[in-house]
Amino acid sequence: MPIPTLSQSIVITLIQCLLVVVFVFVVVPLTVFAERKVLGYLQQRLGSTRVASGHVGITGWMNRGMWKWGRIPVLSYWRGIPGLVADILKLILKEDVIPAKADKFVFFIAPALSMVSAVVVFAAVSFVPGVFFTFPKWFPFVGGLPVSGGIADINVGLLWILGVASVGVYGIVLAGWASNSKYPLLGGLRSAAQMVSYEVPLAISLLAPVVLSASLNFAEMSERMAVGLPFWGLVPQVLGFLIYLTCGFAETNRLPFDMPEAENELVAGFHTEYSGMKFGFFYLAEYINMTVVAALAAGFFLGGPWLLPFGLQGLLNPYLPGFLSWFGEPHAIFFAVKIIFILFTYIWVRGTIPRYRYDQVMSVAWKYLIPMALVNLLLAALVRCFAV
Amino acid sequence: MFKNEEMEVNLGPQHPSTHGVLRVKLRLDGETITHCRPMIGYLHRGVEKICENQTFFQGQVWTDRMDYCSAVANNLGWAEANEKLFGITVPRRAQYIRTMLNEFNRLASHLIWLATHALDIGAMTVFLYAFREREDILDMNEAFCGSRLTTTAFRIGGLREDLPPGFEKLVTKFLAKFPSCLEEYENLLSENRIWKKRTVGVAKLSAEDAIALGVTGPVLRAAGVPYDIRKAFPYAAYAEMDFEVPTKTEADTYARYLVRMEEMRQSARIIQQCMDGMPEGPVMAKLPKILRAEVNEVYHATEAPKGEIGYYLVGEKGSGNPYRFHVRAPGFINLQALPKMAEGGLIADIVAAIGTLDIVLGEIDR
Repeated sequence: MPIPTLSQSIVITLIQCLLVVVFVFVVVPLTVFAERKVLGYLQQRLGSTRVASGHVGITGWMNRGMWKWGRIPVLSYWRGIPGLVADILKLILKEDVIPAKADKFVFFIAPALSMVSAVVVFAAVSFVPGVFFTFPKWFPFVGGLPVSGGIADINVGLLWILGVASVGVYGIVLAGWASNSKYPLLGGLRSAAQMVSYEVPLAISLLAPVVLSASLNFAEMSERMAVGLPFWGLVPQVLGFLIYLTCGFAETNRLPFDMPEAENELVAGFHTEYSGMKFGFFYLAEYINMTVVAALAAGFFLGGPWLLPFGLQGLLNPYLPGFLSWFGEPHAIFFAVKIIFILFTYIWVRGTIPRYRYDQVMSVAWKYLIPMALVNLLLAALVRCFAV
Repeated sequence: MFKNEEMEVNLGPQHPSTHGVLRVKLRLDGETITHCRPMIGYLHRGVEKICENQTFFQGQVWTDRMDYCSAVANNLGWAEANEKLFGITVPRRAQYIRTMLNEFNRLASHLIWLATHALDIGAMTVFLYAFREREDILDMNEAFCGSRLTTTAFRIGGLREDLPPGFEKLVTKFLAKFPSCLEEYENLLSENRIWKKRTVGVAKLSAEDAIALGVTGPVLRAAGVPYDIRKAFPYAAYAEMDFEVPTKTEADTYARYLVRMEEMRQSARIIQQCMDGMPEGPVMAKLPKILRAEVNEVYHATEAPKGEIGYYLVGEKGSGNPYRFHVRAPGFINLQALPKMAEGGLIADIVAAIGTLDIVLGEIDR
């Protein structure tokens, strides 16, 4: 394998970044779309089927002909797709109102904090261990060089993820404060308390995989949880998985824990005063955070990029025909499928259950989740001592 | 810098869960409500005064626009109050049809209550499920009188027209599927831990307080007082119907939820009985072209979905319109209980309290 020069490795890293950013910005709008459609079908309606502007203007142009898709079985599901483009156009073109009494600098910096911390987390997420693909020899400039499955292979990856993710809380708290308005203030206060509380059980529940895999590196953890344990990490860590997922819902402000933006109580919570693309950043950050939580859950508890649980893989491999043998290898697609499944769970839960009250949210965290997470950690330690 | 201050917040008049244009002045200590005063009047149109300048026949159109979620029940009260004023006897078939439509309307109103109450608490799927059934009821309204929401369903003296052909089939179809729909809502809510946490023991209103404040309807019955005008002072064809008045003693939001769910079952029972025992005959009494009142006053109360709706009418000799008209609107009087229910609770509880009172601002402000 050739050793890359400095400029070559910079280009390779940029390509990796591009891949991850493309993944994030494909998955996130599709999650928004899926939220509309899945929620729609859960509630016996169609979800979005058009851009609501008739036949005039840019959106009208996108809308034109879309209704015909309704007659085609599979395509009919995707009729609402132009709505996503219209949404983004609307967010970008909308007037950006800053309240007169707002703290302008903080008001400006808050959405950026939320957004940046959400995206940067992905640096430490490894989609597939080792090499994702190698450039062919004839490729100009970077020919023959490998592209790894994650941007940064940090040996304290989990620490990085938790650390950066918690910076996102500042975005919300500062947004609530800087708006200088009452409902956002309440929303910001709620989120400060809620997200700080839920970070504790979240971190403890993630300590269990750390104990089991004896590593903090995302790729190593994911591999040891998936391959080293029977049936991925899910069997010894089912409690940890549930705790983690619950805390993940709370950290991303999703129902049943959407206190900071509880629509029916606080109008829109911390982002009441935001409009245009600043609001868009909060909106995107929420969905990117969902993807991050889903990626961690998939990586640590659902076997990451491995398709079959350990044990089954060995039994099945001889019978897989040649072209299917890559089913036995770790692959980024399996990782993506698992992420999408957890994103679906988010929407599913949202369509099913009501919202907790603020004080109940806190009692769930402190009275139930933290003790349970500690017990789970003890369990993992015992497994580590005697089984692995 | 560290001042210990209470924060004043206006909940409404533009707020997602104030059911229209209610404004509640809140004083908050953190998230706890220390002071709560509902402010009303944003939807005031002067319905009562307008009705005094209209003939007795025309007035009914305005009753639609009070509680627009239960227009039929309002129409029934108005028609019966006028019939009492003029001493008109309504044919039996008309009474039955009125009773049936009134119960359908109770279902529609309770479904709206369930939908919005659940949405306020965060269960958004129930909202759309409930609206699905309400749609069928509105379709029946449309089949009967041509409009869906503001029905003007009845006439003084009976009905304008008999049931349309095929109406029976619609009713049978609805009644066949409705119990399973109710089960669907209850599966999502009744035993849901979060729903119970949000409603059990929340926004309590004891029977004494409820009576002292004049609260009626399901809110009163959930406090253990079995007062239902359909039983206490039967009107329309309710004397001939066999139904129960569900009560609970817990007097909290969850009890009100259970009471209203059971009321829906009873309403379905009444509709079934109306269909089975529907008498034949005319649907309109003989009336003069213009009703001219004697000097007379009348108060007629009926059980609207939200509580006792009373119509107070004063006639003037020889005049074609009422001399004085006043409505005892259940929402208006029930709303008085809001401070009692919400003070001391959290800000999320006032949303539950507004939902459980089942208010419609069109009726409160009139």
